Amino acid sequence: MLVAIARRLLSTLITLFGVAVVIFVILRLLPGNAITASLGVSAGLLSHAQITQLDHFYGIGESPVSQFTSWLGATLTGNLGVSLSSQKPVAGMIAQALPVTLELGIMALAIGVLLGVFFGVAGALRPGHIGDLAGQALALVGLAVPSFVLGTALVTFMSSTFHYFPSSESYAGLFANTWLNLQQIFFPACVLGVGIAAAIMRTTRAAVLEINTQNFVRTARGKGVSERAVVWRHLLLNALVPIVTMSGIQLGYLLGGTVIIEEIFVLPGLGRMLVTAINNRDFPVVQSVTMLFAAGFVVINMLTDVFSAVIDPRSKDR
Amino acid sequence: MSSLQQREAAGGPQRELAVGASAHRRSKAQLLRALWISKSGRAGLILVSLVVLGALVSVAGLSPHNPQAQSTSQVLKGPSLNHLLGTDQFGRDIFSLILEAMGVSLEIACIATLIAGVLGTLGGIAAGYLGGFASTVILRAADVIFAIPAILLALAIVAALGPGIMNSALAIGIGYIPIFVRVVRAPVLSLRSADFVGAARVLGFSRSRVLLHHILPNVYGVVAVQVSLALAWGILAEASLSFLGLGPPPPTASLGEMVYSATSLSGIAWWTLAGPSAAIVLAVLGFNLLGDGFRDATDPRTRRS
Repeated sequence: MLVAIARRLLSTLITLFGVAVVIFVILRLLPGNAITASLGVSAGLLSHAQITQLDHFYGIGESPVSQFTSWLGATLTGNLGVSLSSQKPVAGMIAQALPVTLELGIMALAIGVLLGVFFGVAGALRPGHIGDLAGQALALVGLAVPSFVLGTALVTFMSSTFHYFPSSESYAGLFANTWLNLQQIFFPACVLGVGIAAAIMRTTRAAVLEINTQNFVRTARGKGVSERAVVWRHLLLNALVPIVTMSGIQLGYLLGGTVIIEEIFVLPGLGRMLVTAINNRDFPVVQSVTMLFAAGFVVINMLTDVFSAVIDPRSKDR
Repeated sequence: MSSLQQREAAGGPQRELAVGASAHRRSKAQLLRALWISKSGRAGLILVSLVVLGALVSVAGLSPHNPQAQSTSQVLKGPSLNHLLGTDQFGRDIFSLILEAMGVSLEIACIATLIAGVLGTLGGIAAGYLGGFASTVILRAADVIFAIPAILLALAIVAALGPGIMNSALAIGIGYIPIFVRVVRAPVLSLRSADFVGAARVLGFSRSRVLLHHILPNVYGVVAVQVSLALAWGILAEASLSFLGLGPPPPTASLGEMVYSATSLSGIAWWTLAGPSAAIVLAVLGFNLLGDGFRDATDPRTRRS
C-alpha cells in the first residue's frame, strides 16, 4: 500500500506542476504587462530609459521559460510577489484572507455532509417515505439553484423581511467577536452546504441502498443486532469510502463557490480577493490565489484517496 | 445507420459486425420515446423546450416589448398584464429582457458544450483506444484542467481574454473537457476488446474507420447525457460570470447581471430578483433533468423494463 501512496503522491506533484504551467500560460495572455498594470494610463508618460529600467525590474523581455522557472522557484520558497494594486506582499494578503475562507469552507462542508448523509441514509432506508422526498427536494434545490441565486435571495429575504443582515457590519474575526463571526459565516456556509449536500445525498443513498441488500446486513438484522447498530456499523461504515470520495470532489465546487458567496456576503476571504484582483488586473494575486485553490483541491483529493485506502481493508491486498 | 443496415441486409461477416455495432443504438424516435417514458426525461424535455422556445421568440423579435426600450414612466412597476414580470429600474420589461438574455445564455452554453464535447470526446476515444503514452498524456492533461475549480478557470480565462460571448464560451467549455474525456474513455476501454471491434480490425478496416464507425456510435449515449449536463453547467457558469461582472459587456442582456443589479433593488422590488432567478433555475433544472432522462433511456442498467 505504501507503494500505491507514493505513486499517488508523485502523480499529485506532476498534476500540480501542470496546473502551474496552465495558470502561467493563461495569465501571460493578459493584455499589457506589469508596468501598465501598476501604472495604468500614466505608463505612457515614462521615458524610454525608465521603461528599460522597469523592464529589467519586472523581468519583462526574458524568455517565458526563465520567467516561469523564476516564478515557480519564488513561489516554492514562499515569495509570492507583491500586489500590483496595493503594493503589499501577496503572501501576507493570503495569510489574512485564508482563515476566513477556511472557516467558511469547513462549516459548509460540515453542513453539506451532515445534511447529505442524514437524508441519504433516511431515504435509502425508507424509499418514497416523507424523509426521502424531503431529501430529494433538497437535492433538487442544491442541484438547480445556483449558489449566487440562493445567496442573493437569502440576503434579500433576511434584510428586507427581518432587517437582519450580520454581514452589513464589518467582518469580525473568529476570536475577536466569536458570536458575530459565527452569524456572518453561518448563512453563506448554509448556501454552499446545500449545494454540496445534493451530491453527497445521492452518493450516500445509492451506496446504502446497495449495501442494504447484501447478505451480511441481513445476517446482522437476523441475529438481532439493533437497527441503530446496523445503520452505524454495517451500513454507514461500508458507505464511508464513496461518501469520503464524493466529499473530496465536492470540495472543488466548494472552492469555486466561495468566490461568489464571499462577494455576496461581503466576507474578506480569498475568493473576494481573487475577484477584486481580476478586476484590477492584479496578476500576482490572481496567480497565487488560483494556484492555492488548485493545490488545495489536488492535495485534498489525494488525502481522500489515501484515507479511503487506509479505511478499506480490502485495499491492503492490492 | 443506413450503411449499417445495408451491410446487415447483405449478410456475411459484416452482418455480425453490424449487429454488434447497433446493439446499443436505437432510432431517434425510439430514443425520444424512451426519454418520454422516464419521468425526469419528460420534465426535462418540457422545460428545455420552453426555454428554447422563449429564446427563439426573442431572436425572432416577437417578445411582448422591446427588451432594451427604456421608459421613465414605467420604472420599477410590479407584475401586471402589460408587464408580466414587472419592469426594472430603467423601465424595461423584465420578461422580454429574460427572453433575450436566455438566448445569449443558450448561445454561450451551446458553443461551450460544442468545444468541450468535441475535444473531450475525441480525447476520451483516443485515450481509451490508443492506450500507452498518448493515453497517459491525455489523462494527465485532463487531470490538470480538472484540478483547477472550473469556475476559477473560467474567471482566469475571461480575465485574460477579456469579456465577450466567444471568450465566455471558451472559458466555460475548457473546464468541462476533462469530464467528457473521463466518461467517454471508460466505455471505449471495454469496447476496444469487444468482438465486433476485433472483427472490424481483422477485416482490415483502417484505425480511423474503426474509431469513427464502430466505437463512436456506441458512446453516443454517454455523450448525450454529458451534453445535457454540460449545457446546464454552461448556463450556470455564464450566469455566475456575468453576476461577477465578467459576462459579455452591456447592452448584451444576461441573466447573472440581472440578478446582480436586482440585489440592491429587491428590497423594494422583489420581482427584479424573482424573474431572472426563476429563469436560471428552470433552465439549469431542465437540462439536468434531460441529462437524467438520457441516462435512463440509454443506460441499460437503469432502464425500466
